[in-house]
Amino acid sequence: MLKNKKTIDDKVKNHIEHLFDGVGASQQLFDLKEELATNLKEKIADYRSKGMEDEQALQEAVISMGDLSGLVDDMRKLGRDKAKQAVYSTKTARISLAGIIAGVLLTLFGSFTVAMLYFINLSAEEAFGPGIFIVAGGALFTYSILTMETGKKYAMNKIRAASYALAVGSLLFGIFVAAVTGLTSDEIYVSIASSMLFVMAGVGLFLFLCLTGTDRLKTK
Amino acid sequence: MVGTISTDLIRGNTDTIVLNVLRQGDSYGYEIYKKVIELSNNQYELKEATLYTAFRRLEQEGYILSYWGDETQGGRRKYYRITKKGQERYEQNKKDWNFAKEVLTRLIEGGFCDVKK
Repeated sequence: MLKNKKTIDDKVKNHIEHLFDGVGASQQLFDLKEELATNLKEKIADYRSKGMEDEQALQEAVISMGDLSGLVDDMRKLGRDKAKQAVYSTKTARISLAGIIAGVLLTLFGSFTVAMLYFINLSAEEAFGPGIFIVAGGALFTYSILTMETGKKYAMNKIRAASYALAVGSLLFGIFVAAVTGLTSDEIYVSIASSMLFVMAGVGLFLFLCLTGTDRLKTK
Repeated sequence: MVGTISTDLIRGNTDTIVLNVLRQGDSYGYEIYKKVIELSNNQYELKEATLYTAFRRLEQEGYILSYWGDETQGGRRKYYRITKKGQERYEQNKKDWNFAKEVLTRLIEGGFCDVKK
């Protein structure tokens, strides 16, 4: 059953790719393909629940969509018009760029402050406090780099990117907690116990996102 | 389906139909498609191809906006929401339609004797 679903999903994907064959890439095309695929799959599922065979459900669903050539033409124009695309993506690209820079600076600020305080010979607890900036910086950096459209990849959707940021943030926070508690309490088991939850949540979320992701590579 | 509606007749009203569905709550492509069938009492089906073209046009003109929903088994759904400008457009279109409907009915069914009375 699961294998069946997989082949149907592939067929839907192939059909949509074929539909927009030779159309120049754009973020709008990428989005439209995903929108069409999601809705088409749901329609096929409805047909199948009414007792249709997989293949027939796919055929019927595709036919009932109607003539998509107008939409294909729209996309072709967009793909050709590079200037328009640039306008579409610059605003979000600028925001992502600012986020990346802020993320890196925040991380650096955290690292330098920790190093500085550590060498001033403050107590470890005080010295590692600003490490929280590294956590925030890492999360911001992750979010920004994933939502940026590059020459090779399309932007990730915001919810997904935010989840990645949460995973990285949680992981870093786990390490941060381990460092602070480990250095202040002298008992290693305390630091392991306190960081375990955050590290596990971070790794779990990260793995889930990695394994469920869609391909954002630009093919053309 | 008992009768048919010519594409010419429906074309000018696609946008209003979509706005009418969306003013009653956010929705996504396939659901809007099903709601149109439901609204028509199974008498009319608006092709998805027509719907997606309408979404693009309405969004460009600022009558609706779109956002991605959570992942479902089949992937992410793209939801649409009516804007304030879209609400106003809908009200205006409804008025225009009611006016046109009355005049057209008179033009198509009316006899000259009726007018004299």
